[in-house]
Amino acid sequence: MRYLEWILLLVLSGLGIGLANFVGFQVGFMDSLPGILVLLAISVAAVVCTKLIPLRLPIVAYCSIIGLLAASPISPVREFVIESANKINFTAPLTLVGAYAGISISDQIRSFLKQGWKMIIVGILVMTGTFLGSALISQIVLGLTGAI
Amino acid sequence: MKKETYLYSSTLERFKNEYKIFLLAFLFIIAADSIGQIKIPVGPGTLILFPIFYALILGVVSGPEVLKIFKKKEVKAASKLVIVAICPFIAKLGINAGASLETVISAGPALLLQEIGNLGTIFLALPAALLLGLKREAIGATHSINRESNLALITDMYGPDAPETQGSLSIYVVGGMVGTIYFGFMTTIIASLNLFHPYALGMASGVGAGILMASATASLAVIYPDLSAQLSALASTSETLSGLTGIYVAIFVGIPLTRKLYEFLEPKIARLRHEPSEVLTRKERISEASASDSSKNSGPNS
Repeated sequence: MRYLEWILLLVLSGLGIGLANFVGFQVGFMDSLPGILVLLAISVAAVVCTKLIPLRLPIVAYCSIIGLLAASPISPVREFVIESANKINFTAPLTLVGAYAGISISDQIRSFLKQGWKMIIVGILVMTGTFLGSALISQIVLGLTGAI
Repeated sequence: MKKETYLYSSTLERFKNEYKIFLLAFLFIIAADSIGQIKIPVGPGTLILFPIFYALILGVVSGPEVLKIFKKKEVKAASKLVIVAICPFIAKLGINAGASLETVISAGPALLLQEIGNLGTIFLALPAALLLGLKREAIGATHSINRESNLALITDMYGPDAPETQGSLSIYVVGGMVGTIYFGFMTTIIASLNLFHPYALGMASGVGAGILMASATASLAVIYPDLSAQLSALASTSETLSGLTGIYVAIFVGIPLTRKLYEFLEPKIARLRHEPSEVLTRKERISEASASDSSKNSGPNS
């Protein structure tokens, strides 16, 4: 995608976040705006990274790393970044993700129904096993290293 | 660097082609966030419904197989939009991680090692899949959480028509349809068992699928409101690590391990189910083939 396309889609995402934050949590758009701009600025920086850095990393990896750096003690704008992002409720950016994700799988209903109950059970065990395996190792290592 | 090819000739063309998605998505946000969060106690857990679920369902029913508001072309476009829309959310989690950097660093060794735990799917789901009578499709189905990159990898390794790929695709579809709701619900049930420290649950939420992680983390934030900043910090760091390592773990550990375990378990479970074993039949066929080869070769002047 071109930079301009990214910016269009990110601005629309920002509007979606503001809308969800207002409808769901009664936070006025102007109160959300600094936080939205911070999140969008980080996302744009991540887009630039994927275009310029010749590693095949997913864009969300850059978003996460840049967000972490922007809010870490070495960042000169740490206070502002943390404070304005705190105005955006945790689930507010997710509603739009859900809407897009729903549309993107809306041609798979028949295929889903065809899978039958066996695949649904296996799918549920796949998710449960992935989660439990990580939780188990985390619990053990956190205990061994004295972190908890 | 490779030149990027563009789907649309201009940004304006993209807008013209996709404006209906944006418009409806905004309506979905208004509807979904007006309903807000609903908590339903189910057994030991709590089914916490978030606006993301309602929006997801509205999106699914508006597609070509139910209400037909969207056509195939828009369905395809929407999967790109998911990646864009999740970026600001991941940025917010990254900020949480930066703000709780001490927690993240103190959990460093656990964060790295728990990536191995994502292989837990193999030990839980593979035996179950075999007991249910699945054969080689079980390898694709249970080797990982089966999101886009895993499906692409399996398709690449086995070919689009292989049973392994069919299995991977099945779990991909199941995960897309029920994963978001199930993953959050499962998290509340596991949390209610009190076996794990909330930090361990936070880290476990990052499985390499953004929307699943979001669902689990949102549920954890409701269960442990005082720890929500640290938990989302751990979840996002774990998710980032999974995103970086996931495909390599699958190639070098996940798939080989699943195959080994399959070769070991399948004959035993097939006997239990009183059915022919796929592994033994395949081995027999190979040895017969090589036996007939060698008899041809050693045969007198054929």
